[in-house]
Amino acid sequence: MARPEIKEISFEIDGREVRAPEGAMLVEAAKSGDVEIPYFCFEPKLGEPVGACRMCLVEIEGIPKLQTSCSTPVKDGMVVNTTSDRVKSAQNAIVEFLLINHPLDCPVCDKGGECPLQDISYGWGGGKSRFIEPKRHFRKPLELSPLVAIDRERCILCYRCVRFSQEVAEDYQLVFLERGDHTYVGTHDGRPYVGPFSGNIIELCPVGALTSTAYRFRARPWDVEEAGSICTFCPSQCNVQLTIRDDSKVLRAGARDNHEVDDGWLCDKGRFGYQSIHSEERLRAPMVREGGALIEVSWDRALDEAAAALTEAGAATAALAGGATTNEEAFLLQHLMRNALGSPHLDARAGGALDAGQARVLARPDLSARVSDIDHADVILVVDTELVEEAPILDLRVRKAARRNGAKVVTLTSRPGSLDPNAAVSVRFAPGAAEAALSALAAELGSERATGPRLHSRAGAEPGAIGAAAELLRDAGDVVVLWGEGISDGTRGAGAVDALLAVTRALGIAGRQESGLIEVPGATNARGMRETGVAPGLAPGLTDAAEAGMTAAQMAAALGEGELSALILLHADPLATHPERPRWEAALDGVSTVIAFTEFVGGALAENATVIFPAESYAEKEGTLTHPDGRLQRVRQAIGHQGRVRPEWSVLAELAERCGAGLDVLSAPQVSEKLFVAVGFYNGLTLEEIGGKGVRWQDRDAASRLPAAELPEGSLEVAPELSEGMRLGTTASLWSGPTVEHAPSLRFLAPAQRAELAPSDARRLGVTSGDEVEVAAGGESLRATVALRQAMQPGSVFLVAGTAENNPTVLTNGVPRAVEITKAGSTENGAGPSAGASTATGPGAQTPPT
Amino acid sequence: MSELKNLTANYDEPNLHTMEVYERLGGYRSARKAVLDMPQEEVLSQLEASGLRGRGGAGFSMAKKAGFMPEGTMEKYLCCNADESEPGAFKDRVLMQRNPHQLIEGCIIGAIAAGATRAFIFIRGEYETQAKILDAAVIEAYEKGYLGVGIFGSQTVLELVVHRGQGAYICGEESALLDGLEGNRGNPRLKPPFPANQGLYQGPTLINNVETLCNAPAIIEHGPEWFAAMGVDKSTGTKMVSVSGNVQRPGNFEVELGIPVREIIYGLAGGPPEGRDLKCFFPGGSSAPVLTKEHLDLPFTYEAMAEAGSMLGTASIIVVDDSQPIVPLALNLAGFYRHESCGKCVPCREGTVWTVRMLERIDEGDATPMDLEIMAEVQTNIIGNCLCVLGDSMAMPIGSMIKHFRQEFEEHIEAARAARDREHIPAFSAGELAAAVEAGPA
Repeated sequence: MARPEIKEISFEIDGREVRAPEGAMLVEAAKSGDVEIPYFCFEPKLGEPVGACRMCLVEIEGIPKLQTSCSTPVKDGMVVNTTSDRVKSAQNAIVEFLLINHPLDCPVCDKGGECPLQDISYGWGGGKSRFIEPKRHFRKPLELSPLVAIDRERCILCYRCVRFSQEVAEDYQLVFLERGDHTYVGTHDGRPYVGPFSGNIIELCPVGALTSTAYRFRARPWDVEEAGSICTFCPSQCNVQLTIRDDSKVLRAGARDNHEVDDGWLCDKGRFGYQSIHSEERLRAPMVREGGALIEVSWDRALDEAAAALTEAGAATAALAGGATTNEEAFLLQHLMRNALGSPHLDARAGGALDAGQARVLARPDLSARVSDIDHADVILVVDTELVEEAPILDLRVRKAARRNGAKVVTLTSRPGSLDPNAAVSVRFAPGAAEAALSALAAELGSERATGPRLHSRAGAEPGAIGAAAELLRDAGDVVVLWGEGISDGTRGAGAVDALLAVTRALGIAGRQESGLIEVPGATNARGMRETGVAPGLAPGLTDAAEAGMTAAQMAAALGEGELSALILLHADPLATHPERPRWEAALDGVSTVIAFTEFVGGALAENATVIFPAESYAEKEGTLTHPDGRLQRVRQAIGHQGRVRPEWSVLAELAERCGAGLDVLSAPQVSEKLFVAVGFYNGLTLEEIGGKGVRWQDRDAASRLPAAELPEGSLEVAPELSEGMRLGTTASLWSGPTVEHAPSLRFLAPAQRAELAPSDARRLGVTSGDEVEVAAGGESLRATVALRQAMQPGSVFLVAGTAENNPTVLTNGVPRAVEITKAGSTENGAGPSAGASTATGPGAQTPPT
Repeated sequence: MSELKNLTANYDEPNLHTMEVYERLGGYRSARKAVLDMPQEEVLSQLEASGLRGRGGAGFSMAKKAGFMPEGTMEKYLCCNADESEPGAFKDRVLMQRNPHQLIEGCIIGAIAAGATRAFIFIRGEYETQAKILDAAVIEAYEKGYLGVGIFGSQTVLELVVHRGQGAYICGEESALLDGLEGNRGNPRLKPPFPANQGLYQGPTLINNVETLCNAPAIIEHGPEWFAAMGVDKSTGTKMVSVSGNVQRPGNFEVELGIPVREIIYGLAGGPPEGRDLKCFFPGGSSAPVLTKEHLDLPFTYEAMAEAGSMLGTASIIVVDDSQPIVPLALNLAGFYRHESCGKCVPCREGTVWTVRMLERIDEGDATPMDLEIMAEVQTNIIGNCLCVLGDSMAMPIGSMIKHFRQEFEEHIEAARAARDREHIPAFSAGELAAAVEAGPA
């Protein structure tokens, strides 16, 4: 379905003729005439209006009763009055009713000073109270969750939080309990309200009923300033507003509504992760290794030592970039590597490099969708990504499209996902068999490229399911494909992307304005790093690099063998994120120079780094990011640098200078300027143009400077047959990684390792939910707790990626891998107590799926 | 004048609730005729010509409401509102208990008029006996092929489900009823959209009261002119009236609309007990503003009651005699609505509890005449500002009581204050006084 065309109509409000979009609710249309109608419960992002608060009553000519303007669509020629005596007395009455049971504790309420109830009471209330009876009482405050405190006495029952839970996050946890004036917001059985988006209800609350436990009593609105920036914790790159005190401390993060990016929502990691900025454990000064130990040193010394080591290593230097590396930092890194050190070996992807041709095709404007296209898609195809963990805000976007606009969702994933219940068709395939699954889908869609035999069985998928998915997709109008970067990893990655492109071609996406692909990458700025040239074969602007470099996996081998002697880690930790951990461990042990940019010094770095530069938090950074849909956005500095932290762009520039290739840049915007020149399709961009809402480069004329790339033709390579045994897959967790570990409020969410199994496999293995198991392959193993998943495909086992302990990188190696699963603690001769237990584990002992 | 029995004509017949007896007395002929021989438009036009108005309270033309149902092939629904919870109303109870097949037949005709293929009877949870009787009757109707697929041998489908409510007055509000039926918390929905457009499961839905539907078979049987000939003006047909309160013969009576109120209260129900006089009465259930003696000679019609500042509502007349003080009556009434307010919208949720608190203070002697002004104003502030009519249902009768009995309220305030003041002067005990007298002046 195409974006709806908006027709303008004119109507009269308070004696003024005003033009507004047809069908807009009066309360919003009034704004076109600079008329403010007060309201509490109205919030279009939450779906249909509920008309509960009655604050927005207005008089409409021809209708005898006052009407709620939040639920009355404006019509041509309507005559509305918002200031008549009748309306005023109704507004007075509602404010009076609202306040009779509302505690007047504004001086000690966190919301005081930024409270809609306060503002509306002043603006539209009668200014006096006639209620002299005792007010309603509840126990207060209580924990609604570890992140949110609830004060039920302040609650005006506006429905916002409940609607958010029911209709936006769809976690269905918040409900109203009791009735009448005893009504209160709560959860079933009083359980904690835990979900990835729970913090949004704090912002939605128009009174001080829901407050952030992290922000509670930290500041009053007049103590703080707000600073707009971009959250860099995941590829969603949500626009945020940071609450700053004394130019030095981030006290709070909130959403900064950008319809094209986040739709005004923020996940809990984005909302509470700011705590890690002020963690005691954060690195605040440069360090070098001396006598085996890391010591804090001056910047000069750290830079000297790093530059000397790099100069010595020269072309034998490798670099990994990751996470929230900005475009500017990425650009400087590739400049340092290629131009100062003469090394082409740099990579920003953990799982393997993208073929240069494929990278260019995937960047084509006609093949890429914008985030808001999801809203209007007829079918949304989700390919092997769990959005709620990898780019949570896109998960909400898909839910919205399905719920509000009737979009059909097709999930094509190896692991059962949280969008399956919303999906019209769910296709499950074996971990690592995305190539075969996509080839099979391409074949069903009539692609001549997919000719391989038995593609369904190579994918381990039900032929009927792929057929049903194709059926839906074939006749669909606009299709948005959200695909997980993971499919392009490993030895068959290029084949999987090729199959994806075959599907793309079969769907005719190139010819459709609002159809397209969006990659869901592993790293926040994966797209920006690729486009600015942090890739083994790609120079800035997705042009071919003069000299092809090594991929991350090749670097690990070369470092181990002494072929490379220095390694730069720019926000990257290969032990946590890169496959083949044993090989990386060996590589780090063997290499003479490891120069790291990091906020926190953990495991590998503590032992192997020779120079560590303290990384900036995103609140200290200045630069740009490129959203997975091609939108360049500005990260703005909100607070002063903590401790002796310096801007990383300046550190990289300084290193380049000391290594003999100075760029002559004195400020972050100067780096941006150079970057916009270097990347062809960014040409002409300015920071002003990017502004607060970002710019998609595909929408600018310079987009034509993207090197030409055709959708590939010719037969797809035939995907390999499935391997035998329990096939290992990994699933990302929003809550793994240093941000969560160093944010006290979020720490309770950090995942422990779990092995997700189908009930039938668990039965066969003699394990059940909650059992400790050992998962092993190739002589390496880790411990995990069994979690049963009813919808898991038998033969698959999924581990959580990026966990602090038992990280599955010890087992992954870039190819579909079979693992052995044994109950932990079982003795080798099989006569131990657990062996006895396993014989007793029949179908009846199975715990229900979670 | 006396009763005019149409709905209740066969109530003396033993086992009227069984299919056998109901059919023997001519039952299901109308439904058969409507299903087999009458196009939907004809059923609608006959209902329209009869002038039958909704018996559940609002008094909206049944045919007009059914006519709002959009055309099209989407699933449409008929919901029978049997959540009779209005204090003073007990007419639907007897209609379902005595003659359940009449309602089922009415549902069939209503479904034809609405083009509905699924029907639900949402019955008040406390009506356990009646629900069981209905259940048994529905089973009989299914066995006979009067419900289900291909009813009366036609192509018409009608599934009927009896759904028990969970005990909330608000579920008698039509949109809350739909929410309850869907398995949600029974809260009223914002209108528009009206149920005829987007009702149950977002489909077009016709919602009718039990008594309204029970009238349909006779209209189809005897023709609309027969029905329209009864009653006066736009209040046609007969009406079940439940009379309760201070009368000698409380109960249900079926009367022709237009009968003088005095005839019902004094003639049929025997008037207040010996030696007492009528103080006021609710003509249409507890949510109707009270009327007084001067209104006794008005004809009992929708129009006359509205003109007198009240409403015919469910035609549940609650009689209050002069032995009843007005303040406890108001408190009882307000307490009911406070308890039943769903809490969704602000004026109802907060206004009902505020009113109760003020009435409690008045009764406890802790109020001044100024509180009466505030209370009257609170009622005004509730009326017309709520999401549904529950708030108005308290505010209108309370407002009418203040209007008609202001002086009694004021006297009550003063008397209760005086009584409390007396109570609150701590008195010396007889022993203390005696001892003091004994001791003499110091």
